[in-house]
Amino acid sequence: MATAIETVREVTGSEYKYGFTTPVEEERFPPGLDEDVIRRLSARKQEPAWLTEWRLAAYRRWRQMEMPDWQKVKFPPIDFQAISYFAAPKQKQRPKSLDEIDPEIRRTYDKLGIPIREQEILAGVAVDYVFDSVSVATTFKRKLEELGIIFCSISEAVREHPELVRKYLGSVVPPGDNFFAALNSAVFSDGSFVYVPKGVRCPMELSTYFRINAAGTGQFERTLIIADEGSYVSYLEGCTAPMRDEHQLHAAVVELIALDDAEIKYSTVQNWYPGDREGRGGVYNFVTKRGLCRGKRAKISWTQVETGSAITWKYPSCILQGDDSVGEFYSVAVTNHHQQADTGTKMIHIGKRTRSRIVSKGIAAGRSDNTYRGLVRILRSAEGARNHTQCDSLLIGEHCGAHTVPYIEVENRTARCEHEATTSKISEDQLFYCRQRGISEEDAVALIVNGFCREVMNELPMEFAVEAKKLLGISLEGSVG
Amino acid sequence: MAVVASRRRRVDPDPSFFALHRAIAPQLWGGAEWAALRTRALERFRALGIPTRRDESWKFTDVVRIVNRPMRPAEPRPLPFAEVRPYLLGGSEAVRLVFLDGRLVPEWSRTEGLPAGAIVESLADTARTRPEALARALEALDDGRAFTALNAAFLDGGAWIEIPEGVALAAPLQLLFLSAAREEAVMAHPRCILRVGRNAALTLLETHAGLGEGAVLANVVLQLALGEGARLDHDRIARAPRGHALLVKLDGSLGAGARYRQTTVVVGGALVRNEHEVRIEGPEAECLLSGVAMPRAGEQVDTLVRLHHCAGGSHSDQHFKSIVEDRGHHAFAGKIIVHRGALKTNAYQKNDNLLLGADAEVDTKPELEIYADDVKCSHGATCGELDASALFYLRARGLDPETARALLVYAFAEEVIARLTEPSARAFAERMLLERLGSDFVSPESELLAEAR
Repeated sequence: MATAIETVREVTGSEYKYGFTTPVEEERFPPGLDEDVIRRLSARKQEPAWLTEWRLAAYRRWRQMEMPDWQKVKFPPIDFQAISYFAAPKQKQRPKSLDEIDPEIRRTYDKLGIPIREQEILAGVAVDYVFDSVSVATTFKRKLEELGIIFCSISEAVREHPELVRKYLGSVVPPGDNFFAALNSAVFSDGSFVYVPKGVRCPMELSTYFRINAAGTGQFERTLIIADEGSYVSYLEGCTAPMRDEHQLHAAVVELIALDDAEIKYSTVQNWYPGDREGRGGVYNFVTKRGLCRGKRAKISWTQVETGSAITWKYPSCILQGDDSVGEFYSVAVTNHHQQADTGTKMIHIGKRTRSRIVSKGIAAGRSDNTYRGLVRILRSAEGARNHTQCDSLLIGEHCGAHTVPYIEVENRTARCEHEATTSKISEDQLFYCRQRGISEEDAVALIVNGFCREVMNELPMEFAVEAKKLLGISLEGSVG
Repeated sequence: MAVVASRRRRVDPDPSFFALHRAIAPQLWGGAEWAALRTRALERFRALGIPTRRDESWKFTDVVRIVNRPMRPAEPRPLPFAEVRPYLLGGSEAVRLVFLDGRLVPEWSRTEGLPAGAIVESLADTARTRPEALARALEALDDGRAFTALNAAFLDGGAWIEIPEGVALAAPLQLLFLSAAREEAVMAHPRCILRVGRNAALTLLETHAGLGEGAVLANVVLQLALGEGARLDHDRIARAPRGHALLVKLDGSLGAGARYRQTTVVVGGALVRNEHEVRIEGPEAECLLSGVAMPRAGEQVDTLVRLHHCAGGSHSDQHFKSIVEDRGHHAFAGKIIVHRGALKTNAYQKNDNLLLGADAEVDTKPELEIYADDVKCSHGATCGELDASALFYLRARGLDPETARALLVYAFAEEVIARLTEPSARAFAERMLLERLGSDFVSPESELLAEAR
């Protein structure tokens, strides 16, 4: 297991990595991808033969697939042979101190009130002290173990709990699901694994630990969360502070499985580097996230606040297979400058009396494009299914775009689907009202936007919500006036 | 590479399309330049291919299965006038063009009493009198759609209609497209070009009817242009028998202050597909589109709308409904595009679907694409069956279940049917609806209309 200590060592730039004794010169594979690279990658991670074969099968599928072209986001072609598929998470050139970091980012840190030490970690500064969270992490770990909750890196889970991984890996997002999922299945580097046993209610948000854990997971992350019968877990991904990141392409896969009466709450706050004001640089966030309500009365809830990345392109989805299962999707996507977002959800109703609710708030400013794209599909078997979808878009400025592309496919007459969407701008009256009361224009915009997003923000865990609110204001800075 | 094959967005058209073109194109009107135009269009059709469900705008519709098979041109066939008469709408004063299997039938048409300057003529005449204008109009519509190219490749029947500036036609104008019963698969490709001049006004009745079952492909293209301040009320009724595929592409543009109002009622057909591409090009224009479709067993109705707001200060409102029985299928894809600079746009869209059959399917995709901030745009979509409490209410008042259901369905459809502007079109649509409901319940309004007739 990548213990907290190891993770810290990765962050602090030590050569030590995942407990392997590895010669330093092999730290990074040369760019390029073929079957041999995958075999070497798998061997490096000491994976069992079935997983190597699984990766190779995914690679062969991927070779036959074509990059999709239906999306609303535009980017130059990606050269997949120019990427190194195994790189130690440490960065080659780390900034020596915070002074070398983009002052914009530093200003954001200050505004979010992030402690200086944490700032250094987030920015990837080569810090040489062990930070406080270690003890916190180990305390958490002991507590979780007592309850039988497994929470570790996926590499470790492959070694320690192969039966669970083998049973569930790819069961929600099969390797051939889509172009990027196939690529991820072939080359995934690491990620998180959570298993909550029957009847256990995870007593804490699985987040603080993850924040440390995440620092080294790289660009092809794989997350697998299994909630056994009657269990509950709340999982937080990402953090509000802008992460300095060396990879441009992120193609992660997240799979959630909820059995009978289980509930998974998955919250994301994503604030990766969006590129500069002119649209240069920035992260491509191409993620496949899907949850399967396999059991009866299972519930999966996605909440996302997306403010970062040059391109956000993802559709956290729910397959509502168990009778009476529930899927929820709450999203705020903010784009400014030249950012692009094409995000939304899919709700696939299979079980009887399954219910889903979608609330999406898109905010476009600057020269950005913000698209909601979603699918609600009611299969013939989904007797009495119910869906309500609400998509609202807010436009700030004349050069941005807001788009709504919902698909509703109904094959059962007892189902009821409702969809509503609106697009408008921040009203002059609201702004005037705030300005008249001495609130600066920027604060007024933040206030109005926060009100616009409140329905979604309310779904975030408390400590996340506070930071996310500040983040919204910061993301839209300079978009008015 | 099975994976790749299934991802193809188009398939090659059946060779019979080309064989047919070789056989009949030399007999069609016009000289060498028109033959060349048809050949160019055919090559375009060949290059575009027949779209599969991988093509986003055909995602819900397997058109390959329906139309990509050996076809024949429809040979002229005598038809007793009595069979045509029920479809003549708009009263005795109406100006009328009747097309049978895509060809204009002058003896059933009526172009008398047109005001000075108004033109209603066959495309063959236009090709003689105003060849440049016709060629320009045909070439202006290159929408990358295979069936539009196919229509141009077989350009034959059709009409050119022009209402001059400031003229309001008192009587409605009916375009009646009929298909006779056929054993073999036939196709027809009429095209109508209609221009409503500045401050002119017109009520247009567009009627499609099949007189018998058969594998008919009616591939219609309509090009409408409304000048500044023009008004067009457009009532559309389609009644397609089993086996018919009716594809109608409507391309329209609205000048400043123009008002376009369209109501569509569709019953039946293997596939009835109404595609709209409407551009609001001037400010303060108004575009109201509504429709109701009633597909059942093995029938499919597609409604596609792409509504462009290119100029600001305009208003658009769409309300499309469907009543889908047993194995019927309705697909709706409506897109509102507000272009950069089209500020102060108001655009609304609503799509309500009533699922009555256990195997009914509804696919709906209401899209917004907005590039201007000072706008108000919204859309809503609903799918569901009849409201149980409304049914209970009627049952509690002594109505039998069939009548109660019929009454509710009638009310649902009537909201759209009532928007048909021409009374005879409305009465016709109501009769169609009541036939569909299969109930002896008759609305009071229909009885009144019957008496009036």
